[in-house]
Amino acid sequence: MTSKYNISSSSAYGNGGSLFGRVDKVALGLYVALVAVGMVCITAASFDEESASIFSFSHNYMKQLVWVGISWCVSLVLLLLDRRFFHMFAYPAYIVGICLLLSCLVFGKEVNGAKAWFEFGGMRIQPVEFVKIATALMMARVMSSYSFNINRFTDLVKAACVILLPLAIIVLQNDTGSGLVLCSFLFVMYREGITKYIYFPALFTVFLFIVSFIFTPETIFIFLLVAFTAYTAVKTGAFVAHIRFLAAVLLAALLLAVCTPLSGYAALMIVCGVVAVVLVVMALKMRAMMLLWPVLMFVYAMVFVPTCDFLFTKLEPHQQNRILTFVGMKSDPKGIDYNVNQSQIAIGSGGLFGKGFMQGTQIRYDYVPEKHTDFIFCTVGEEWGFMGALVVLAMYMALILRLMRMGERIGEPFGRVYCYCVAAILLFHVWVNIGMTIGLMPVMGIPLPLLSYGGSSLLAFTMLIMIAICLDASTSDESNIM
Amino acid sequence: MSNFVRYRNLRYVVYLVFVVLACRLFYVQIIDDKYKDLATSNIMRSTVEYPMRGEVLDRRGEYLVRSRVCYDVMVVARNIPKTGFDTVRLASILDITPERLKSQLKKARQAPRAPFLVAGYLSQEAKLIFDEGNFEGFYTRFRTAREYPRKIGGNLLGYVSEVNDAQVRRWEYYSAGDYIGVGGVESAYETMLRGEKGVSYKIYDTHGAIKGAYMDGSMDVMPVKGMQLTSTIDARLQEFAEELMEGKVGAVVAIEPSTGEILVMVSSPTYNPDLMVGRQRNNNYARMLHDQRNPQFNRAVKAKYPPGSTFKLVQGLIGLQEGVLRPNDMHPCHGGYKYGRRTMACHDHRSPIDLRDAVATSCNAYFCYVFKDIITNPKYANISDGVRAWNDYVYSFGFGRKLDSDFTGEGAGYVPTPEYYDRAYNGRWNWGSVISCAIGQGEMGCTPLQMANLAAIVANRGYYYIPHIVKHIEGRDSIDRRFYERQYTMVDSIHFVPIVEGMWRGVNVWGTSGGARLPGLDVCGKTGTAQNPNGRDHSTFLSFAPKDDPKIAISVYVEHGGFGASVALPIASLLEELYLTDTITRPELVERVKNYKINYTKYDRMQREYDQRRAERSQK
Repeated sequence: MTSKYNISSSSAYGNGGSLFGRVDKVALGLYVALVAVGMVCITAASFDEESASIFSFSHNYMKQLVWVGISWCVSLVLLLLDRRFFHMFAYPAYIVGICLLLSCLVFGKEVNGAKAWFEFGGMRIQPVEFVKIATALMMARVMSSYSFNINRFTDLVKAACVILLPLAIIVLQNDTGSGLVLCSFLFVMYREGITKYIYFPALFTVFLFIVSFIFTPETIFIFLLVAFTAYTAVKTGAFVAHIRFLAAVLLAALLLAVCTPLSGYAALMIVCGVVAVVLVVMALKMRAMMLLWPVLMFVYAMVFVPTCDFLFTKLEPHQQNRILTFVGMKSDPKGIDYNVNQSQIAIGSGGLFGKGFMQGTQIRYDYVPEKHTDFIFCTVGEEWGFMGALVVLAMYMALILRLMRMGERIGEPFGRVYCYCVAAILLFHVWVNIGMTIGLMPVMGIPLPLLSYGGSSLLAFTMLIMIAICLDASTSDESNIM
Repeated sequence: MSNFVRYRNLRYVVYLVFVVLACRLFYVQIIDDKYKDLATSNIMRSTVEYPMRGEVLDRRGEYLVRSRVCYDVMVVARNIPKTGFDTVRLASILDITPERLKSQLKKARQAPRAPFLVAGYLSQEAKLIFDEGNFEGFYTRFRTAREYPRKIGGNLLGYVSEVNDAQVRRWEYYSAGDYIGVGGVESAYETMLRGEKGVSYKIYDTHGAIKGAYMDGSMDVMPVKGMQLTSTIDARLQEFAEELMEGKVGAVVAIEPSTGEILVMVSSPTYNPDLMVGRQRNNNYARMLHDQRNPQFNRAVKAKYPPGSTFKLVQGLIGLQEGVLRPNDMHPCHGGYKYGRRTMACHDHRSPIDLRDAVATSCNAYFCYVFKDIITNPKYANISDGVRAWNDYVYSFGFGRKLDSDFTGEGAGYVPTPEYYDRAYNGRWNWGSVISCAIGQGEMGCTPLQMANLAAIVANRGYYYIPHIVKHIEGRDSIDRRFYERQYTMVDSIHFVPIVEGMWRGVNVWGTSGGARLPGLDVCGKTGTAQNPNGRDHSTFLSFAPKDDPKIAISVYVEHGGFGASVALPIASLLEELYLTDTITRPELVERVKNYKINYTKYDRMQREYDQRRAERSQK
């Protein structure tokens, strides 16, 4: 509607050949392959030799097969839809999504401490899965609107609101893990040209967040002090002056700590605070922006790190534990660590080629908890080994890169933003999920896309990807950027 | 920054994410080996499979000790269902009170993951009922328990007990919960009887349920059953001897002189070996521990008794070998032997007499002359050398040292040495100081096994085979070679003739051992009546038969039994009769022996005082 590309592509599927002539076969193929791998793994993970019939619907893999069927029917419908439909559909979808989240907050069922599920007669649906689609569409819609400029403040706020509104509700649902997925949209914003004055502080925040759990605040401040001083020293070339400055600050803090009843930490904070104020005033007077930036970032850290510590105490105990376990502050092999230990044992014991289909002992004998849902990757690692795991990783990487390429190829902002959103969501899920199974990330309850058992998750990811393929298919005949 | 650069940078981010994941996977799956071991230890647990302990047969092939199958009921407290279970039913199957079961479970919960023994010695039938009950968290462990068909030979056979910490530390083979033989045959032949433990590897799921054999059982080792031993014991004779010794404190040992095989070994009071099996074991054990007659003490191989007059045989033999005595030498005896101002009393018999009659009548004075001649022999520079020479002879008879039999904890007895006398008499002593050794009194101490061995030496006219309790081990051609070697004494065979003659006369012509006569069997014997500071004399008798083809050599020792002829002699005689003729022709003698009452005032007093002390302690 707003885009010039829409006009000619509206002529249904006439000149571009049939529908299946124009869909991206690589993406579709990767999708089908991943679903197939998922079916194999779910079968291996949930097969129970004591059950009567292997085709009984009491088996998880038979249930999942039904969901695969449903997903593919939905895919067909989605592929037949026109791109403009999604464009129109974005607002209502987003509103419905927000409403669903809110009603879930009220009527939802609590599972594992998160009130994030609807239950319909034994079937559970997690609205968050579908909110991802709605948010992605909404992001695409907002960011593709006419004269949208990510670096204009009002536009940035608009985009941020699109993310933060559902995020806030999800955090209220106590499902922070799923909520963090939406943060992956920073990826999209970067692509859409967000300025480094935004993404660099954002990355800095993430950095501070992680180190604040590993090191004490004093250590972090001293490190930052040295790092920033070194940075300006290199930039200006005035090494001696910077060394004097550093020595002066540290000496002052030391003197203050020795001569007064203040603790070393408080002394450091006071000295740094005074010096920072002086430096900011000086920098503003001298219009020395190069000096201003590091000082401001340091002040930000001085505020952020204690706040972070404070907020951490406000987290639920199980979340605190997961984070502490992850950063290695707490070792508790039979407790929180148990999931991570057992999943690493399962994957690690797979070796190069794995133990073979249905031969994974750790999986079969229930040592891996959540083995067919969040920890489905353990089945890949144990039964198919490093080679199998590499193949699966390669498939995900290919799919993500393909989606990004499709986004570039579409050439108009709506499709591009949407494709990047999907790629970002997939990347985040894969990174966090596989990362947690091999001890790189804390345990967050988010599924592995297309592989994990679970109907709503499979359907949601199918829809995400199919919409991207559809958007790509309906524009591919006229835009050949790549 | 152009769109192209941003696209490229984002692709790099994607590459980076996947490279990091792949590197970590590479590390976890390829580099770090620990996960494979951890995975194996997750699913695989080994279980020890206990072997059947070997049986012990008597010399005729009758079972002395059998192994029967039984089960330990174990529990892993963590696996007991939270909803509870029928404790009353389980308690009744296990044959324990529900209170006992509850207290056991409470103990088990202190280490909820560790297997805990709830009740042992479950019979096979009870195990089947237990299995039907399907009590979650409980399981059985195969064990074997000892069973004694004749219920004889408590000290002789020993018993089986769980290993203690020290044994586990000392021997690699044992681990906590294993059984080990204690005392007697069980301990001496432990390595043969125990067999080889097996091991089986099973796959467990995370809930602790068994899912099958690890690697299809290819790593499993089957337990090997312990070897069957054939002992030298004659079960019938042993049982009869135990019957005769009932109520008396002492020991009976009988040896087959031609082989050194021990036919009978009774240490009285004995105990029913079945008491050391089963759930009442600890109570029974404690009761025995508090018994001041010490039924667990194997008097037959450990006690130190004065040999009394039976030792005169040795003195006579040494005198003959040393040349200080000829068989026809006459010595006078008028109611005793006078040395200095003292007299060694003797009973009333004709005088003077020669060696044969001295043995037959057990004349004290005669052997005082002999012993004095031995140790004051002018060929030795002084009396110390004389005693030392005498020591060597005595040692060669197996006294004063361990015989090296197959009994663990065999006692050595005691033979006084010049060094001992130097200490005891502060270096000032003469032959008069040591004269009581002449008649087996004084410091002399012998085990009943050594005395029986003496009987065998005399029967063999000069040598013996080391007494042993096992004659055949399943799957082996022979027992230890030391049991096949003749052990010669320092006395020549020729010198035994008058001694044997005297022993024969004492039984068959005229002497102290007349009651041991058995028509046609040519029994030879020597009584002993050993004085002791604790009360009435000990009664002892040493005998072998028949005279020219000895089949059995026997020593009976009854503490405070009075004259040798009064109780030790009839017991020995009855045993010889049963062994040699398979019949008992003197039932009235059996009755007399069984009814022969001995008052053990010293033991009774000790018991009273001990019980009093215990009572006082328990009051505190």
